[in-house]
Amino acid sequence: MRTLGRYTWMLVTLIAITLTACEHDVSVHYDVNDVDIEDKSLIKDRSKTNKQFISILYTTLHQKAISSKQLIRTERVIESFGDKALINEVIVSNYMNNGEVILPTNEEMREDIDKFITETYKKFFVRIPTEIEKAFFINYLEANPNVTPEHVYTAFASCDEFQFY
Amino acid sequence: MKRRDFVKKTALTAAGSIAFPYILPSGRLFARTTSELADHVVYILFAGGVRQQEAVLQQYLAGSQGVDIEGNIMYNMLNGAAPDRKIVYGTTPANEPTGSLPIPKLLGQTLESQGLLFPEVEAVNGGHYGGLTSLLTGTRATAQGLKVRPVYPTIFEYLRRHRGFKASDIWFVGSGIGNSFPLLNSSDHPEYGTQFGANFVAPSITFGAEGFETISNAKVYHPQEELEPMAKMREFLNNAFRIKNGEVKGIRNEEDEKENIKKFIREIFAKQSSGGIASPPVSGGGDLRTLGYAAEVMKYFKPKLTVVNLTNVDGCHSNFSGYLRALHRADHGVGWLWKYIQEEIPEMAGKTIMMSTPECGRNLNPNPIQDENDWYAFDHSGDYNTSRVFTQMVGPNVPANLRVGSESSRVGMTTDNVLTIAEIFGVKDAVSAAGFVDGASRSLFDRI
Repeated sequence: MRTLGRYTWMLVTLIAITLTACEHDVSVHYDVNDVDIEDKSLIKDRSKTNKQFISILYTTLHQKAISSKQLIRTERVIESFGDKALINEVIVSNYMNNGEVILPTNEEMREDIDKFITETYKKFFVRIPTEIEKAFFINYLEANPNVTPEHVYTAFASCDEFQFY
Repeated sequence: MKRRDFVKKTALTAAGSIAFPYILPSGRLFARTTSELADHVVYILFAGGVRQQEAVLQQYLAGSQGVDIEGNIMYNMLNGAAPDRKIVYGTTPANEPTGSLPIPKLLGQTLESQGLLFPEVEAVNGGHYGGLTSLLTGTRATAQGLKVRPVYPTIFEYLRRHRGFKASDIWFVGSGIGNSFPLLNSSDHPEYGTQFGANFVAPSITFGAEGFETISNAKVYHPQEELEPMAKMREFLNNAFRIKNGEVKGIRNEEDEKENIKKFIREIFAKQSSGGIASPPVSGGGDLRTLGYAAEVMKYFKPKLTVVNLTNVDGCHSNFSGYLRALHRADHGVGWLWKYIQEEIPEMAGKTIMMSTPECGRNLNPNPIQDENDWYAFDHSGDYNTSRVFTQMVGPNVPANLRVGSESSRVGMTTDNVLTIAEIFGVKDAVSAAGFVDGASRSLFDRI
């Protein structure tokens, strides 16, 4: 009888705590627009060294790291030529010809150009494109059905922004 | 329009077009000050530290090893009979002593008899980088650090800025990428700099094993269907990208020049596989290969200015016999290059002035290192002998068979060459007025 009384008392206490402790969630809405947390305009004002450029380029295109021997030899070739932008373009096109570059297919690119462009900006520039940038590429790729992912990748790999971080 | 007005306006327009300066593609103003003396200049940075005793003075072993044998081992460039004994500088026939067969003379008439020789010129800097910087900037390079671009503008920048040459008109062919050589294609000067720099190539790397692995298999894109869209997208990306000062530093060729240079690279690799690269008759050694590729650059681009850097004689630090062989080969290579220009490049034949100057001399006294002939080696550590070099010029408007100066009367400085080349292209006054060339320097034409 005494035990029953104790359980009853505990049950009453538990119900009382539960009823008094719980409150409805209050939904608060501030009058502020949603903001992407990814940066669209990273400040890149430092030029990559030849070594950094080659390592990043190779990894970006091949999805694997370059060997140290190949890195050094490629770096020497870049040093042996005055116009760095030009020789970088030649190196990129040499990679494109070696059959080891991992590229999206043309169908994949054209199926969702918006996604392809966003992914390409992230891959090469480590940022998402602005609306203007995205609009340019969507319009350009739609207007030029012969342009392939290889052409887009080559343009990104040989442009100024890819030489900076 | 009345006849009188028409005549007046026509006369004013004609006078204005003559009197007003030209406007360069860069938007800068310049005025050509004199007429040009030649269409092309080939400037040889000759050989990497040459003693006068084995060059102009033709003392062979007498001026260095106490062996009484004299003679001229540079008989394409200089007048004089070759040594008649103890020949070590030539090629090596089977079962014969090393270097015992002299390389046959290539030119019917030496460059000395065809042109102008300043036999005693002051090298203003005794080191390689400083010496080369002096030859290219016309300054003493006393404040020049290593592993940085020249402080003052180079002849490449002067010609591109004041004469309006394109990047692919100006080439610097280097023997390698060591000793900061690739940095010599432009200064970092804020008024000039890389935007006016030269195209640099070090053929031993670019077209060597490393280049073959890295760039020989480059894809050939269709000009309209592939290159054009890629260029368009790249242009958009570059315009969207803004860095400080709004520009990316570096030598830049225009799109059409770039495609032309890429075509040149492809052709060179194709020529390599068929064994068709231009080459002197004796082709061993890095300098001779460098000269062969320089000839290919000239044949393809017909540059306004081609600078070639030779370095092999610097082996004299530890091997005097090797130094003699390298000097003999440098002479062979320079003689061949001149012949090649006259016979194989019609666009440059008869319109090219070639200049050669070592960046520095070498010490009078040897160091203790002996070679296979027990001959002593020589450094270049800054004695008076290190400051003794020569300058040779040959080509149109250059007096023939003339020596200016002598051992007892030095005439000329290594810093003179910048003003000399500027005078050849008609912009000497503009270069002088820029105010960076050493104050005591003059065009060599003014020293005759």
